[in-house]
Amino acid sequence: MMHLAYSDSTIEELVAILRRSFPFQGLPYDLLRSISAVSRRIALEERATIYRVGDAADDLFVVASGKIEHALGPSSSATRLVKVVGAGDVIGWTAVLENQRKRLATATCLERSELVRINGNELLKLLEADKPAGDALMSRLASKIIDDFTVPEWVVQVREVMAAPEALRPTGAGLTPNGMDRTLLRLSLWLRNPRPYLMLLGFALLLGFWYLSVEVWKLPRFREMPSVTAVIKEWISRRPTYGLSIYTEEYYKHIWVSTWRVMQAFFLATVIGVPFGLMLGWSRKFKQYVFPVFELLRPIPALAWVPLAIVMFVSSESAVIYLTFLTSFFATALNTMLGVQSIDESYIRAAYCLGADRRQVFRHVIVPGALPFVFTGLQISMGVSWFSLVAAEMVSGQYGLGFVINTSYTMVRYPTIVIGMITLGIVGYSTSALVRIAGNYLMRWRTRELALGAQ
Amino acid sequence: MFTRLMPVPVTASRSSGAISIDQVVKVYDSGGAAVLAVDHCSLEIEAGEICMIVGPSGCGKTTLLNAIAGFHEITSGRILLDGAVLCSTERPKAEPGSDRIVVFQNGALFPWKTNLDNVAFGPVVQGQLSPRQARQKARSMMADAGLSGVELNYPGEVSSGMRRRIEIVRALMNDPKVLLLDEPYRALDSLTKSVMHEALLEIYYRNKVTIFFITHDLEEAIFLGHKVVIMTTRPCKPKKTLEVDIAHPRDYSVLTSKRFRQLIEETNDAVHEEALKAFSAGEKEG
Repeated sequence: MMHLAYSDSTIEELVAILRRSFPFQGLPYDLLRSISAVSRRIALEERATIYRVGDAADDLFVVASGKIEHALGPSSSATRLVKVVGAGDVIGWTAVLENQRKRLATATCLERSELVRINGNELLKLLEADKPAGDALMSRLASKIIDDFTVPEWVVQVREVMAAPEALRPTGAGLTPNGMDRTLLRLSLWLRNPRPYLMLLGFALLLGFWYLSVEVWKLPRFREMPSVTAVIKEWISRRPTYGLSIYTEEYYKHIWVSTWRVMQAFFLATVIGVPFGLMLGWSRKFKQYVFPVFELLRPIPALAWVPLAIVMFVSSESAVIYLTFLTSFFATALNTMLGVQSIDESYIRAAYCLGADRRQVFRHVIVPGALPFVFTGLQISMGVSWFSLVAAEMVSGQYGLGFVINTSYTMVRYPTIVIGMITLGIVGYSTSALVRIAGNYLMRWRTRELALGAQ
Repeated sequence: MFTRLMPVPVTASRSSGAISIDQVVKVYDSGGAAVLAVDHCSLEIEAGEICMIVGPSGCGKTTLLNAIAGFHEITSGRILLDGAVLCSTERPKAEPGSDRIVVFQNGALFPWKTNLDNVAFGPVVQGQLSPRQARQKARSMMADAGLSGVELNYPGEVSSGMRRRIEIVRALMNDPKVLLLDEPYRALDSLTKSVMHEALLEIYYRNKVTIFFITHDLEEAIFLGHKVVIMTTRPCKPKKTLEVDIAHPRDYSVLTSKRFRQLIEETNDAVHEEALKAFSAGEKEG
């Protein structure tokens, strides 16, 4: 079945190849050497079959070069039956599963490929000898397997199999893939495609333009602008000229105060805005009463509310939170209402048909059906809460990034203004990303549907 | 894929699920331009019968279905289920209920629930079974319908043909008297469709529920139905009723039989005439 051509290979070369493959990254050098000692480097011609479905699964393969088509058997309910793997990928992991001694897939070379063949039993023995490292490697393999299969039953089965070799479990925990491994895997995949480099290029262009316009060309509009070098120097200085850099406690205090205000306002806007929006979308009567008022108040910008907010609230802190809350609330409520209205009538009819009452339709259809829009609303809400926060902090408040920007302007600390702005950008982006991640988690049905491209 | 069927007598053995549509009129009146959608339509459907309603798209068939299901009001006339009035001129809107379950044209499995939770939904919300019991029953009903293995997937993860079958099983979980199918196979390709027809018949032979099936496909209608009612286009009323005298259980060999071809020939003209009328009237799809 196989035409194996052993090439001369030193242990060092094998170690280097293993290190380029995610599951083996960061393992102790000694362990990699002993794994290499039981490995063989093989080269296969185009169209050579490495293994077929049903073959005995003895070996694990690490791809060193070339392209290999990996086709899972039709019964395996995988996310993608056929995929092409290349350098750094691991195939044939059935060899290290406890109860699965038959290949689940067929692997064929699409071009001349070089692989490292590792005997599964030998590998397990070595991993048993070095428990912490062995555990890490196995959990990485498990996370890879789980990425390949979406059917929960299958995943459960794989997990149980993974848990079986008792010797590999020093504490009984940690065999299920942890978040760190998955993040590392994603990171390595991300670094292999062009996107991060395009992103870096984008940043480089912006900074380059800033540098040239202020320091080299000295364009008229940019004469008073702080230069990029001055800003960065100030930002990372241990003893900043204007008193604010990543080494000063003040800096973090400002970030924390702003973030805490946004969190309170965002929380209030969500807790009040989502039920309010659901009611607007669900109850015609409620909408008739409330919506005209809502639409009248919505276009009033947060800044226009500042005087009234100061009059209404005794402490400037609650005034700031109120202003921040306001815009977030409108974004959340409006999107939630649209979410309810976007629900296909047949879902509601189907629920009534199946005997649900109005309350159950609300709980089982309206709330989950509106969720995609609700999360769009929450992302917008998070974004707008930052800009109304800054507006509010410029007017009142003693701490916070908006306060930093405003006082730096009056006190002619120009680099500090830019530090405040950039920090706002970073913090704002991070909070929006958190909302997005939470949304994807809560709407797994949707991500999976989109990922599979169902109609 | 499906095991051959046990011979079952053609005559329906079920005693409940008879629908009687009596002089039903439906006028849509949206902002002045009144449209007569259904005009004095009368139709008797026996308990346990597969009644196929054929007509061009937009002829008003769905209006009739919506009236039975309780989604829309009727203007006058009355509809009875086993002698009990569902809706009438005095009480124009029927109460939707689990004795008449609709399988929708575009499918209405809740995409945010797993297939299993979708199937278990009815008995749970009605408070008949605990969620655990309902899931157990749903599991075995799905297994009977050849749907094991996808219980924990979301509807978006399985094929559209499979989604339709799951939706029918979800309906049957409630032991309904009537299944109302609104062109459920319209969006499917013809190969999947043929598999779905046999699957539906198999489910029918096991459950013997009255089926009210809307379609514009004459072959589908004659292949599946005990009775085929060809409707006139707007206003909608029965134009021609055909009793299909091909014995049940049927399988795909029926399609090539002489009698089947004869029946198609007999009815084709009537259907074509209505399609032409609908076409020249420029009715919107739906």
